[in-house]
Amino acid sequence: MVVAPDSTAPVVTVGVYYKIGFRLEPQGRSGFAHLFEHMMFQGSENAAKMQHIKLVNSSGGVLNGSTMYDVTNYYEAVPSNALERILWLEADRMGALKVDDENLRNQRDVVKEEVRVNVMNQPYGGFPWLDMPPVAFRNWANAHNFYGDFADLDAASLADVQAFFRTYYVPNNAVLLILGDVHPADGFALVEKHFANIPAGAPPKFADPTEPEQIEERRGYVLEKFGTLPAMAIGYVLPPRRTADWCAMALLDQALHGGRAGHIYRELVLEKQLAVEADGGIDDIFGYNGPSQMTTRILHKPEIASDETLAAFDTIIREIQEQGITDSELGQLKVKWRSDYFATLEGGRGGYMPKYGLMHLLACFTLFDGKPQLVNTILDGFLAVGKEQIQHVARTYLTPENRAIVFRKPASATEEAA
Amino acid sequence: MATPVSRAAAAVPDLAPEREVRWPQRTKARLANGLEVILVESHTVAKFHGELFFRSGNAAAADRSVSLAEMTATMVRTGTAKSTSREIEERLRGLGADLSVSAGQDTSAISFAGLSDHAEPLLQLVNELARDASFPLPEFERERRQKLEEVKLERTQPGFLAGERLRRVLFDKHPYALVSPTEEQVAAYNIGQLRTLYRDFYAPENAILLLVGDFDPPTIQSDIEKVFGSWSGKRPVPKESPWPPSPHGRCVYLVHVPGAVQTQILCGCRAITRKHPDWIKLGLTNSLYGGAFNSRLVMNIREDKGYTYSPRSAVNPLRQHGYFSVSAAVRNEVVAASLTEIFYEIDKLRSLPVPESELLDAQNYLTGVFSMGLATQSGLLSQISTLALNELPDDYLETYRQKVRALTADDVLTAARTYFDSANMQIVVVGDRQQIESQAGLFGEVKALDAHGNPVS
Repeated sequence: MVVAPDSTAPVVTVGVYYKIGFRLEPQGRSGFAHLFEHMMFQGSENAAKMQHIKLVNSSGGVLNGSTMYDVTNYYEAVPSNALERILWLEADRMGALKVDDENLRNQRDVVKEEVRVNVMNQPYGGFPWLDMPPVAFRNWANAHNFYGDFADLDAASLADVQAFFRTYYVPNNAVLLILGDVHPADGFALVEKHFANIPAGAPPKFADPTEPEQIEERRGYVLEKFGTLPAMAIGYVLPPRRTADWCAMALLDQALHGGRAGHIYRELVLEKQLAVEADGGIDDIFGYNGPSQMTTRILHKPEIASDETLAAFDTIIREIQEQGITDSELGQLKVKWRSDYFATLEGGRGGYMPKYGLMHLLACFTLFDGKPQLVNTILDGFLAVGKEQIQHVARTYLTPENRAIVFRKPASATEEAA
Repeated sequence: MATPVSRAAAAVPDLAPEREVRWPQRTKARLANGLEVILVESHTVAKFHGELFFRSGNAAAADRSVSLAEMTATMVRTGTAKSTSREIEERLRGLGADLSVSAGQDTSAISFAGLSDHAEPLLQLVNELARDASFPLPEFERERRQKLEEVKLERTQPGFLAGERLRRVLFDKHPYALVSPTEEQVAAYNIGQLRTLYRDFYAPENAILLLVGDFDPPTIQSDIEKVFGSWSGKRPVPKESPWPPSPHGRCVYLVHVPGAVQTQILCGCRAITRKHPDWIKLGLTNSLYGGAFNSRLVMNIREDKGYTYSPRSAVNPLRQHGYFSVSAAVRNEVVAASLTEIFYEIDKLRSLPVPESELLDAQNYLTGVFSMGLATQSGLLSQISTLALNELPDDYLETYRQKVRALTADDVLTAARTYFDSANMQIVVVGDRQQIESQAGLFGEVKALDAHGNPVS
């Protein structure tokens, strides 16, 4: 467990991270890790369904959970006088899940509406985060539908739920974090009191997410049902995390995707005016532990051909490969990177949760690296990157045989052409 | 490890004594040119967050065109007398800053955040944007074209279509009825209109500068005086538009989206502004109904029945008015069933007093969440700006919790009866007409429209 005290406000944020995400969920059970996350709010040994939510809200706090590639988290932000209550609640559901078929049916329905509202009934829903993996990757772990095929969701049983819980939701596969208004000694004592008697389980066995070598560019096509603009996403596989190349790649990402000053937005939207939207980058750079990508997302004008848009994108990449970036640009990128890092620590994803970002980094550095204190030093690696390294990673990683492209074609345009 | 405590400790631990919530001091000043300044220290990270607000937005320019203040805001960062668009963006990056310019119905705003060690140059840039935007013609042509694609795209989003329709139904001829321009209106924008609006609205007498973060107030105050002191400009005469009558009787507006695999429901009625004495009462009532995860609506149609992922109700304040709304994206087969439960929970709250324990839970929720704003710079900024823009009393932050705690079940009953106007709620459903019209028709006369608001027969 990790405690990060700060008494600015009488508020404490508690998180429990389990080292299992949708990447390594069982085959034939796509979407299960996320469905399971919903089940963790449905009842535990001493807190029935509704109790979890009610206890947190009625203590003056908020709660949520999220399923990511390699971790699943559960978190609460509450007035600090509710700390023990929250720890009791997290311990109760780490100890034993108490759910029935009715709960599973209910949450399966809720999850299907979640998929409809976020993906199936939205223009560009799931683009590119759900469209890209099956095109870019060959290992099922990296390539499957993370929200889940409805047939797989329907096939999930209560036995699957309990088996998943027994396998992955053991204390030795988790980290507990307390941030904010707490004295470390008090925090550790409370955790000892409520969690110490939860027995460790067998260390979970994880499937191997390694990808076979890619030798050529990969392309895929998806129909866009509602939107009228043609879209494309271009993803490059990242260097291994915590290497010098990875740090350089992060700054290259900032050069390419850093808002309106980024090369991609500047060229495609502001200068050449081919695109209406052009954004993307490395999503949650500290939060994954397997193959991942830097992805550019482009919606372009209907009168511009996809080939022309892609050629303009390739010109941007080639320019950096050939000429690199200037010293003054590198200086700007580093200042912005430092500023963004501080912003992540304070808020970050889920900005309504104080210190969500700090919690997320501490958790991932603990589960993936065994070193939560990396949060204090990781910035140094990025600030040490030289401009020749940026050119080097541009040449090494931004290559056709390291990328995949998904084209999302509006159905309206297809009909007109037919 | 050898603690004798049993794992099966079935009892929920009590809450410990509360730690005092202490709001930071606000330093207020007014420059000679009329610019109001509010400073709040918060040392959580070595950054600061700010807003330069102007008290005029789209509603104040409704007689000129729709969303004209927003289009003006979009243009502000695309060039100044001194800097090109590209130079502005690179300066921002070099300062480690984020900045956006936007406008809503009642305000226009330059919002920014940056590193404490680069505070003054960021204020310089904000000042430049507020005073010397040059509206270059090629940038305008490009932004207008972008906007055209944006307004096309938003007409494919169910949430947008529902919100737009409800506003139109509730506010009719008032500027608040219009949330977005048509393609024709965008095509008719001209650069002269934007320049005039910029001159009218972006004036120090019309502005409030709010800064929250890691700084020393006297130092930053002197930076502000140096940077903004020579700016001048009068406050525009505020425009008031007459109120159309509130809609009477329930009516159903069906926005037809062929092939939709889900239905977006949005119901609403007019309510009150934040300055209204009943605002806090209404907030608590909303929280009990559908404003929190633990609320009746969410427990009913999500946790019990599984009709929807994200049901919520909200009280939406505007400067001159406000409205109450209930939203849920539900599967097509349960549109009638969902509406039944939405109205059942409204009518129940209007008919029966809430049990004391439920009231207490909701009071704890509202007061707890309110204090969370203290923990981050952006949270604090959002609370301070709410106070400033709505001209709420100085002690609002300090007294809010007491006021919530003092409310009774009877107050909730009264607020529900007054503001959850069940009989006159307007209902919007966005979905595939063939699949949902007969269900929607059970709740009132159905008016079917396409995504552009044209009647479909």
